[in-house]
Amino acid sequence: MFPTYRRRLVFALSCCGWVSSCATPPSPRVDSVAHTDAGATEVTGVPFHPQETWQCGPAALAMVLGWSGESVPPQALVGEVYSPARKGSLQASMVAAARRHDRVAFTLSGPADLTRELEAGNPVIVLQNLGLSWVPVWHYAVAIGYDGAANTVTLHTGTSEAKRLSATVFDNTWARSGYWGLLVLPPGRVPATAGETAYLRAVEGLEQAGRQETAATAYQGALTRWPGSLGALVGMANTRYASGDLPGAESALRAATRHHPGSGIAYNNLAQVLSDQGRHAEALAVARRAVESGGSYSQDFNDTLKEIVRRRGSSNESTHARPSHWQDQDHSQHPAGQP
Amino acid sequence: MPFLRRYAGLVIRMQILALLLAFLPAPGVNAAMLGTRSVLEQGAGPSEERARVDSFLARQDVGAALRAQGVDPLEARIRADSLTETEVRRLAERIDRIPAGGNAVGAIVGALVFVFIVLLITDLLGLTNIFPFVNR
Repeated sequence: MFPTYRRRLVFALSCCGWVSSCATPPSPRVDSVAHTDAGATEVTGVPFHPQETWQCGPAALAMVLGWSGESVPPQALVGEVYSPARKGSLQASMVAAARRHDRVAFTLSGPADLTRELEAGNPVIVLQNLGLSWVPVWHYAVAIGYDGAANTVTLHTGTSEAKRLSATVFDNTWARSGYWGLLVLPPGRVPATAGETAYLRAVEGLEQAGRQETAATAYQGALTRWPGSLGALVGMANTRYASGDLPGAESALRAATRHHPGSGIAYNNLAQVLSDQGRHAEALAVARRAVESGGSYSQDFNDTLKEIVRRRGSSNESTHARPSHWQDQDHSQHPAGQP
Repeated sequence: MPFLRRYAGLVIRMQILALLLAFLPAPGVNAAMLGTRSVLEQGAGPSEERARVDSFLARQDVGAALRAQGVDPLEARIRADSLTETEVRRLAERIDRIPAGGNAVGAIVGALVFVFIVLLITDLLGLTNIFPFVNR
């Protein structure tokens, strides 16, 4: 009975042209699950939280955080992601909140990544427009599995736990958000689909959010996947520098200059770290290498060199090494005659 | 007093500039340390200093937009501060137009019968997924 009903509806729709044109999904279309090779998987250990009216964002986030080992009730996340006047949660707020809970927030780069991440055992927060572009009904669900043969996607959505939805319907609703999908991963667990730069950008977000230790763990994970990665080594050094570990920062930057002798940024930062440890002569040689390498940051490299020359002049090569930025508080720096 | 009045505008402008500069976030302890971003955006990005000013302004915009959406001011600032420079710059350009995931049926309460019928039809066609009683 159902197919006949549908055929009649298609006929009815084709009679009012503009409605059917409004309902046309954006092209070009790429199917994420529908019509892929038969495969099936379901991620276990994703707790289900029913999504109350308006608050699918906090609930979706609580589910993936719970899976990642951080048990938070959805109510506790409302204040971190919800925008009352919009009656919903912005994607950026979801990303920021994941970072505030020491998780790497990584957005998928395309629809084909969904099944690969699910196969790797990672649940994905997906943003769907359940309505149409002109009657949008935005909704966050958590994709936990798929079944290629049955052509279904399994979602924790609304008040349904592990609901199997037609992959075609899912693709239609997911396409309207531009296939926005978010992984919320413990640091050190690198996404299956991540490219080096995309992952490092996600980790840089943890640095920005002030989660230095978590970022360091995530950079370590990146180094396991991409040994000698310049971004991961410089990032690692920056997290250590920010938490005051100058020898740690130095060793990461030495590794960076070894693997990437052409990187002015690695030399510039190494010079800074050496100079902060009072080793101005060494710093000077390294800063010169940065300046020689040139590039789009050559102005910054020149500034570092000038600063090191200045510090060296004012320190008079004192016998004991001391971070020279401490000297800003040193009484000897005050002009003579001041108390 | 006329002297003061004559220069008041200039003084205020300089104070605003000084305040702005004082609040510019510096990565790490010292500005001479280049941020991780510089490696990731190499060649394509603006200079470190320019990027810092741009993202400072973008962060203000994002924070203001979140406050306008009813988010508590301190909370709005934390959210804006947890985003990377690239993210805030991209977000600042279109924060009022981007979707906020809410929840299904309630969003269309009060809409026309017409919309209901269209969505019912599109649900049956598998283009939308609004009504739980449409089983697919």
